[in-house]
Amino acid sequence: MLDLIAPHLPLLDLIFIGTGYALSQAIVFRAGTFSVATSGFAALGAYAAAILTVTHGFHPAFGVAIGTLLGLLAGLVLSMPLARLRGVYQAIASLAFVEILVALILYFENLTGGPLGFHNIPRVVTPWMLFIAMVATMGLLILLGKGGVGRAFDAMRQDPAVAASLGVNPSKYHVLSFALSGAIAGLFGGLDALRNFSLTADQFGFTILIATLSAVVLGGRRTVIGPMVGVTILVLLPEVFRPLADYRQAVYGLLLVVVMAFLPFGVYDSLIMKLRNRRLARAGMVAGAVAT
Amino acid sequence: MIAQQILNGLVLGGVYALFALGFTLIFGIHRIMNMAHGAVFMAGAFIGLFAVRLGLPLWLALPVAMIGAGLTSILVEVIAFKPLRKLALADAELASIISSIGAGLIILSVAQYVSKTQTMRFPFGTVPMDAIKVMGLRVTSLQLLMLGLAILMVLLLAYYLYRTPQGRQIRAVAGNYRAAQLLGVNPNAIFYQTFFLSGALAGAAGVMVGLAFNSIQFLMGEPFLLKAFVAIILGGLGSVPGALVGGLVLGLLQSLSAAYLPALLVDAVIFGLLFVILMVRPDGLFVQNLPESATKRI
Repeated sequence: MLDLIAPHLPLLDLIFIGTGYALSQAIVFRAGTFSVATSGFAALGAYAAAILTVTHGFHPAFGVAIGTLLGLLAGLVLSMPLARLRGVYQAIASLAFVEILVALILYFENLTGGPLGFHNIPRVVTPWMLFIAMVATMGLLILLGKGGVGRAFDAMRQDPAVAASLGVNPSKYHVLSFALSGAIAGLFGGLDALRNFSLTADQFGFTILIATLSAVVLGGRRTVIGPMVGVTILVLLPEVFRPLADYRQAVYGLLLVVVMAFLPFGVYDSLIMKLRNRRLARAGMVAGAVAT
Repeated sequence: MIAQQILNGLVLGGVYALFALGFTLIFGIHRIMNMAHGAVFMAGAFIGLFAVRLGLPLWLALPVAMIGAGLTSILVEVIAFKPLRKLALADAELASIISSIGAGLIILSVAQYVSKTQTMRFPFGTVPMDAIKVMGLRVTSLQLLMLGLAILMVLLLAYYLYRTPQGRQIRAVAGNYRAAQLLGVNPNAIFYQTFFLSGALAGAAGVMVGLAFNSIQFLMGEPFLLKAFVAIILGGLGSVPGALVGGLVLGLLQSLSAAYLPALLVDAVIFGLLFVILMVRPDGLFVQNLPESATKRI
């Protein structure tokens, strides 16, 4: 059994880490903010963990903890200016945040290795640790989502004015969603750094931002399982289509277009919605009344 | 020295402006973020290059590239945006971003296949390389051509939008989609027209960038898409005159900061500026009323 799985362990790593990033992205969507800052928080976590562990010789766990904390702080700081914006303006501002961070990582060469990258990082993170981190994060988010926090996030996404009139403090929950997003991305960024021997700034640029965003929207952005489904599809897709390796990008692109056209809420969320509507219809209620 | 940098910046800015105009046109009229715009720009450069290689002179290759890129852009509209029009506005915003990223990837993949992942160049002598001296400034004929073309295209676009019946219909759809439809404007025709115009502008920019940097490869659109956000926000998302001014300012800024700052800090400065503008004047320096989507939730 183990022989069967062993060659695919790197894929599992990618799924666990990708899910961590995707959850960090999904939590701000759930609270109704169109921010794409996750890869910036992840870059902070990754470089903090790498610099503390390699340059200053601290224990890797301490490095990851500080990386998580740094992600959380960055989330808190970024939440303030982004609260002033809406929709695509938030997306563009958070994109600028990520690009500024990447440019600064490239500039401060003696700290980060600059364009050559940061190397000689010990590989101390095992797939099990990543798995536990992913499950713990999902558990936390499911717990929060079922309680008052989840209801507040849902209300804010659907209508901020109504949410405020019902006693939800929008700025408090906005800050909370960013703190969660930053801490989760910082944690997985730190783990990512200590898994891969080396780090480069490009790893956290536009490409990973697009990949994370695609995974969340593809899987489903309103549930906790949805992002994981999206990441799994995107990681496994190239393996399934190995004979078509030359056309990998085209297959990936086609998948995004087709899923958006037919399942605009993502694979998992659309499925859940359909099942729920069918159940309600059977119970004698009007189908479609709970479409959103 | 500084005058020379300003001149180079204006030429670069003209190209940014063409690229940004196409993007902002689609956003201003349809409230769509077309993330495949960079791929359309690249497609324009490719088509222009192949037209020149087939022996067409540049003055003929450029319109061919513009038409080709315009048709590519219509293709993006048909496969990526049309199926999403049934959704509520808030849901369509995110879905259309993802689906246009997908359409862009498909175009990239075709280009990668066609170019075999190689960087390609225009044949030597496509444009005369001689430089003339004007008041101590070195101006190449290519720079003159780029600036002249950029100005010409902007004037043509402005004429089309503000002085023709078709332009009036486009502006009517931008103002109130439903009302325009009730008054007999065919929305599909408007979508095809605006996407064609947007693609043609991007195609022209693609050919000029391919000539200026003498390098054409399938990933050339991505940095332009990122930088174009700065130009677009500077002038106000959705504003046509704003994109023109924003493009010129961005070109100047890039050429001046490249001359006086460490190369690796240029991007930090440009995106830092973008962030600051969004904080201080999210509606840009020129637009008076905020576009609807700026205040809409996702």
